[in-house]
Amino acid sequence: MLSAGGVGGPIGRAFLLVGLVGALFGFVSCVMGMRQKDEKVLHLSLRFATLSAVSAIGAFVAMEYAMITRDFSLDYIQKVGSRSTPALYNFTAVWSALEGSILMWLLALALMTAWVAWRYRGKITDPLVASALATMFVTAFFFFLLTVGPANPFAPGEAGVTDGPGPNPLLQNHILVLFHPPILYIGYVGFTIPFAFAIGALITGRLGEGWLLETRRWALFSWGFLTFGIILGGWWSYEVLGWSGVWAWDPVENASLLPWITGTAYIHSVLVQERRGMLRVWNLSLLIATFSLTILGTFLTRSGILNSVHAFSESDIGPYLLTFFAIVVVASLVLIGWRGDRLRAPGIIDSPMSREGAFLANNVLFAVFAFVVLLGTVFPLIVEALQNRQIVVGEPFFDSLATPIGIVMLFLMCIAPVLPWRKASTELLSQRLFWPAWCGVAALAVAVFLGATGIEPLLTFTLGGFATGAALRQLVLATRRQKWRGLVGRANGGMIVHIGVIMISVALAASNSYTRSQELTLTKGVPASFGGHTFELTGFVEESDARRTSIKVDVSVDGGKSYRPAIHKFISMGQNVGTPSVKSSWSKDIYLTLEPPVKPTSDEAKIKVFIKPMMTWMWAGGILMAIGTVLAAFPGRRRRPTDPVSAPIPTASSTGPAS
Amino acid sequence: MRDRGIGGSTAFRGRRSSVIATAVGIVVALFFIVLVVSSPEDRESAASPLLGNPAPVVKSTTLDDMQFELSRRRGSWVMFNFFNSTCVPCRQEHPELVAFHEAQAAAGTPTELYSVINDDSDNAVRAFFEANRGDWSKIRDDDGSIAVAFGVAKVPETWIIDPNGYVRMRFIGAVTKNLLDEKLTELQAAFEGM
Amino acid sequence: MNLPRPRSQSPRLKSWPMWMLMGIVTVCLLAIGAGREGGPLTQQERIDGITKRLACPTCDGESVFVSQASAAVNIKNEVARQVAAGQRDDEQIVALIEDRFGGRVLLVPRATGFDSLVWVLPVSVLVCSVAGLAATFRRWRREQGLVPSDDDRALVAQLLAEEPEDHDEVPG
Repeated sequence: MLSAGGVGGPIGRAFLLVGLVGALFGFVSCVMGMRQKDEKVLHLSLRFATLSAVSAIGAFVAMEYAMITRDFSLDYIQKVGSRSTPALYNFTAVWSALEGSILMWLLALALMTAWVAWRYRGKITDPLVASALATMFVTAFFFFLLTVGPANPFAPGEAGVTDGPGPNPLLQNHILVLFHPPILYIGYVGFTIPFAFAIGALITGRLGEGWLLETRRWALFSWGFLTFGIILGGWWSYEVLGWSGVWAWDPVENASLLPWITGTAYIHSVLVQERRGMLRVWNLSLLIATFSLTILGTFLTRSGILNSVHAFSESDIGPYLLTFFAIVVVASLVLIGWRGDRLRAPGIIDSPMSREGAFLANNVLFAVFAFVVLLGTVFPLIVEALQNRQIVVGEPFFDSLATPIGIVMLFLMCIAPVLPWRKASTELLSQRLFWPAWCGVAALAVAVFLGATGIEPLLTFTLGGFATGAALRQLVLATRRQKWRGLVGRANGGMIVHIGVIMISVALAASNSYTRSQELTLTKGVPASFGGHTFELTGFVEESDARRTSIKVDVSVDGGKSYRPAIHKFISMGQNVGTPSVKSSWSKDIYLTLEPPVKPTSDEAKIKVFIKPMMTWMWAGGILMAIGTVLAAFPGRRRRPTDPVSAPIPTASSTGPAS
Repeated sequence: MRDRGIGGSTAFRGRRSSVIATAVGIVVALFFIVLVVSSPEDRESAASPLLGNPAPVVKSTTLDDMQFELSRRRGSWVMFNFFNSTCVPCRQEHPELVAFHEAQAAAGTPTELYSVINDDSDNAVRAFFEANRGDWSKIRDDDGSIAVAFGVAKVPETWIIDPNGYVRMRFIGAVTKNLLDEKLTELQAAFEGM
Repeated sequence: MNLPRPRSQSPRLKSWPMWMLMGIVTVCLLAIGAGREGGPLTQQERIDGITKRLACPTCDGESVFVSQASAAVNIKNEVARQVAAGQRDDEQIVALIEDRFGGRVLLVPRATGFDSLVWVLPVSVLVCSVAGLAATFRRWRREQGLVPSDDDRALVAQLLAEEPEDHDEVPG
C-alpha cells in the first residue's frame, strides 16, 4: 500500500500555515480597505478568502489521505488509525477525535467565509459587508491558530509505530458516524454568518432590512442542519449505545442544544422584526448568543473542564477556547452597549393577545429554557470551584424543568398559528380554535381509552392534538386558497415543522412514561413472554475478525422474525460494546439487548427487553421537521422593505394576509 | 435622542442597552473569575463512612481458585489494593507494592496484601503479574460487589484493615512503599496502645 | 383600528356552551387518566427507576442507567441484588449507595445550602421574566394614546425617503 511516509504531515501543516496567513491578511485587507475606502484593497480580501478556503480543503484532504494510507508517522493517525478498521470507519475516523474534528470545523468555516466573500463581492464597499467579512476572518484565524498550535493534527508521532488502536469502538458500529458529525458541524458553523452580519450591523450602526432577509435565510439553513444533526444524534444514541433512550442530558448533548434553543427563538422573533420592525437589538443579541454558545459548548466538551474544573488549565486547547469566548462576549457586549440604543426601533406591541405577543412569550420561554440548560451544565463547575466538592446535575433536574416548559410551549403552538397580527378578540379565537380544540379532546380521549396515565403525558397528548389541529387548519386553508403553494413559504413550512415537533414531543412523553422493561433469562427452545409478546432463543452466532469478536443471539419475537442483539469485544481496545436490536412498528418498538456474561455452550442467554411505545413517531417527526424546513425556505411573497408593516388587516378573509 | 417619544422615560431608555450590556457583562465576568481564580484542589478526600467501622463481608475466590473470606483473616493486618491491569497509576504503583510485600515477608507479623481485581479478565491479570512480579493473592470481583461494598469507583485504591476486622485507612490513587510503611506503623502503634 | 371579524359559520356550534362542554369533557378525561394507577412495576423497571436517580461516579454526569462504565455496571448489579432481596425500598437503596460512594452519586443535588440555588435560580428567572414581560405590555398599553413627536415624524420621513439599496452614506 502506498505510504505517504512522512510527506503528508508537512504538506498538511503547510496548508494550515498558508490558511492562517490568508485569514490574517484577509482581516487586514478588510479593515484597511474600510478605513481608506480603497476598493482594490477590499477586493484583495476575496483572494485571501479563497486562499484560506483552498488551504482548509487541502489540509482536510491531506488528513484523509494520511488516514486512508495509514500513515503512522503522524501522531493523530497513531491515535485513531488502524490497519484493521474497515474503509468506511477509517474514513470517518478523521473526525473521531479532537484535532480532526477541529479540522472539519475549519473546513466548513473557511468554505463559508469564501462563500460570503464571493456572494457579496459586489457590495464589498459597504462597511456592513466588510465588517461582517472581517468578523468571519477573525473566527477563521482563530481556528487556524488552533490547528497550528495546540490542536495540531499533523504533529509527528513516535518513530517506528506500525499500527494503531483505531477509533473509539462506539464510532465503528453504525453508518450514522458518517452523517451525524458533519451535519451537526454545518449547523454550528453556519451560525457564524448571521453572527458576522450582526456584528457588522452593530459596528456600522445600521440594520438594513435587506440584510435581514439574507441573514434569516442563513440562520434557517444552519438551524435546519443543527436540528437534523441533533435528531440524528438521538437516533444514534438509540441504535448504538444500548441504553434504549434518545437523550441523556449529558454535557455534550447540552452543548449542542443550547445554540439550538437560542436559534429557534431567533427564527421566531425575527418575524416580529420583519412585520413590525421591533426587537432588532434583541434579535442581534440572540444571534450573538447563538454563536457564543457554540464556542462555549466546544470549550465545555473539549477542554476537560467537566472532569475536573482544574483539568482545563492542564489541557492545551481549553485556555485558547476560553479566551476566544471571552473576546467574543466582551466585544459583543461593548458593541451592544454602545450601539444598541441607536438601532432600537420605536414601537409598541398593541396587545399580548396577538401573534407578536405569542412570539414574545415564545422568546421568554426559550430564554428561560436556555438558562436552565446552561445553569445545569455549569453548576457543578461552579460548586467545585467554590467549595471543592463534586456534585452532579443530571437528568432528573433537566426533565423536571423542561417538561413544564415544553407543555407551555405546546400550548403556545396551539394558539399562535391562529392569532392575527396586532390584536385578537376572544370571539375570534374561540371561532378559530374550535375544531383544533376538539382535536385535542379527541387525542386525550384516545389516550385515556388506550390506558394512558399520568397528568403530564396526558396534558402533552391533549395539547399535542390541539396544536396539530391548529397547524392543520392553517395548512388546509392555505392549500384551499393557493393549491400547492399553500405548502411552501414561511408560515406553511413552519406549520409542517410544528407538526414534526408535536410528534416528537408526543413520542417523548409516551416513551418516557410508558416504557416497560424486563430482564429475561432465555433457554434455547423455550419461549418466554413479557408485555404481550413472546421471545424465544433460537441460537447463538459467533463471529470474529481482525478487529473484534462478536457474539450474537438469535431471538425470535412473537414466533416470527429473529432479532440479533450482540456484544462485540474490540481486541485492541479491550472494550466490550453492546449493540441492541430493535423491532419497530408504528405503535411501539421492542428493544432487545444482550446482557453479559454470555456462555454459548450453556444454551442460555440473558436479555433485556424494553417495550417503548411510539418511538417511530419520533423519527417520523424528525423527517417532517426536515421537510418543513426545506419548504419554509421557499420564497414567499416578497415585501418591499419600505412597505408599511402595520397596515390594517383586511376584513375580507378570516385568516388575514398570507404568510 | 428624542426628548419625548414612545418608549418610556428617555433617561433610562437612552441608556437601556448600556445598562443591560453591563449587567450581562458582570455576570459573565463573575463566571470567569470563579473558574479561573479557584485554587487547585488538594488530593481527593480519603474519607469513608467505613473508617473505624467493621469491614464489609468479603467472600470470593482467588485467581488460584481458592476460597477467600475476609472474616477468616482476623488476627492479621490486611491490605486490599483495588487494581486493574490497564490503569496507568496502578502500573506505576506496582513496583512499590512489590517492594512493600517483600519487606513485609521478612517481618515478624506480616501484613497480608491482597489485590482485588476491578473489571479485568483473569488472563490479563495473570499476564500482568507474570511480567511484573508480585506473588500475593488476587481476589476476583466479577460482579463488582466488593468494589461497591467499599465504595470504590476508580482504581487504584488501597485499604488497611486491622486484626479485629475494622477499617482503619483508605488511600485513593497510587501509593508508595514509604507511605504505606509510615501509615502502617502509626496504625499498629495505636492498635497496640488500645 | 379594525379587528378581524370572524366569519360566523354555524354560530350555535361554536358558542360558549359548547366550549363549556369541551372544558368539562377534558377535565373529566384528565381526572380519569391521571387518577388511575399504572400497574405494578416489574423488577427490572424498579431497578431502572432507581438507577435513573444515581450518577455514575466516573462519568460526566451520566446516570447509572445510561452509563456502561465499570463503576456504573457495579452499582447497577448492586441495585439489582438489593431489589431482588426485596428488603429495602427505593429510597433506602439510594441512600445505601449514597452512603458508600458519597454525594457525587446523587443525580440531582439535595436541595440544601448552596446546591438549592440550582432550583431557586431557574424559578426566579422565570418569575422575573414573566413579570418583566407583563410590565412591558402594561407600559405599552399606557403609551397607546401617545402622539408621535415631531422628531419621530422626521425620522420616519427620512427613512421612507431612502431607497432600500442605497448604502452610500453611513449615518453619522
